[in-house]
Amino acid sequence: MTHLPFIVASYALGVAIPIGFGLAAFLRMGRARRRLAAIDPRARRGGLA
Amino acid sequence: MRSAVGTPQTGRSLHRFANPGQFLRLSGAVLPWLTAGAIALTALGLGWGLFFAPADWQQGDAVRIMYVHVPAAWLASSGYLALAVCSVLSLVWRHPLADLAAVEIGPVGAGFTALCLATGSLWGKPMWGAWWVWDARLTSVLVLFFLYLGHVALVRAFDDPTRGYRAGAILALVGVVNLPIIKFSVDWWNTLHQPASITLTGAPTMALSMLWPLLIAAIGYMLAFAAIVIARTRAAVLERRIRSLLMARAASDGGEAATSMLPQEGV
Amino acid sequence: MTRKRRRLWILVACGLGLGSATALTLSAFSDSLVFFVSPSDLVKGTQNARTVRLGGLVEQGSVERSGGGKPVATFRVTDGANSVKVTYAGILPDLFREGQGVVTLGTLQPDGTFRASEVLAKHDETYMPKEVADALKRSGHWNPDAGPPPPASTWNTLAGNKPGT
Repeated sequence: MTHLPFIVASYALGVAIPIGFGLAAFLRMGRARRRLAAIDPRARRGGLA
Repeated sequence: MRSAVGTPQTGRSLHRFANPGQFLRLSGAVLPWLTAGAIALTALGLGWGLFFAPADWQQGDAVRIMYVHVPAAWLASSGYLALAVCSVLSLVWRHPLADLAAVEIGPVGAGFTALCLATGSLWGKPMWGAWWVWDARLTSVLVLFFLYLGHVALVRAFDDPTRGYRAGAILALVGVVNLPIIKFSVDWWNTLHQPASITLTGAPTMALSMLWPLLIAAIGYMLAFAAIVIARTRAAVLERRIRSLLMARAASDGGEAATSMLPQEGV
Repeated sequence: MTRKRRRLWILVACGLGLGSATALTLSAFSDSLVFFVSPSDLVKGTQNARTVRLGGLVEQGSVERSGGGKPVATFRVTDGANSVKVTYAGILPDLFREGQGVVTLGTLQPDGTFRASEVLAKHDETYMPKEVADALKRSGHWNPDAGPPPPASTWNTLAGNKPGT
């Protein structure tokens, strides 16, 4: 392949940025859910998770 | 529960989705499918583009950068459009979920715009001979990036979140004028950036063997953007509920432990 | 309801005002928003002795390269109506060829040549697999030096074979 470093860098960014945002959102959701469950037991069976 | 969150139960059609419980149930059902579709289509589109799509007759393999760059560019613009729609819902109808969604779209849109700018640079250097030029297309996309960053900063700049939502919505709507400028910059003025290959009115100026992976990657990115924004908005709804529960608890038993954890916010 | 409607109309009015203000500003500054000028603009003489970007197609058969310590290339940039001779000392981009779009940064010399300090290649919006391009050229349906390729929807039939995926 010609210009391989440019292509590899583009695909690395193109995969890393969406995955990074996705993982961060997933972890944040889990954190919020655990914290809510700790202070409000109803949240666990209320279909909120 | 609902009163604790402070959503006005007006029962009007638009405000049906303002009910956070409804939103959590609905989005919780959709999110796994959205995520699975996003991963599958993005992997298919990018893998196809990187390994199986043909090289361009004059650009060679560097044309493969297109399969990342173009979907990111489309998402940068349409993400801003989504931000603008949320801003109208927020300003005119005072829709509480639209406020939260607008706050969560901002950083994601900025991320995809940064991806568009970075891959454009990586494509421009080997093909044009320059990392960056100040032509109308590149400059207007850079302005879009700054609009996203301005929105991210502005909605978080106020002690009273409602004032942040209003200010952010106004900034987002002012920035909408930039969207047609981005779209038509390559037609209105001489630019180094080439005009669009895929238009609503004309046939694409691209081989089908390149068009398919491009469209699949674009749909994959679109689903990924939607999944990320929905997941972030879910988290934001839960966080707002946590804050109001802590506030209610602090008000009822005057516990100083709860008050210390509480940001000053009128929910 | 009426308050919502009023807010909506205020928003529409603001949008119309802002939109027309932007449109007027952009059309007023249209000349400075262009990234490059054409050879015809340059020949008209409004850009004398200023550093400008000159854009157009590299004219057929006009490219001369001389080696030596530093490679020097001369070529003519044309927009169909007029053409300007460009001299450039440096390495040309990969995509540079006759018939290709280029944008050069430099100044027009008193003798009518354009001395460039930078040459960028401008490619068009057509993306075509190598095999299709070869087949079109072989079958005589397209000469890349002579003009843009035929529409993409005709490539399969013109090239006589299906482009592989």
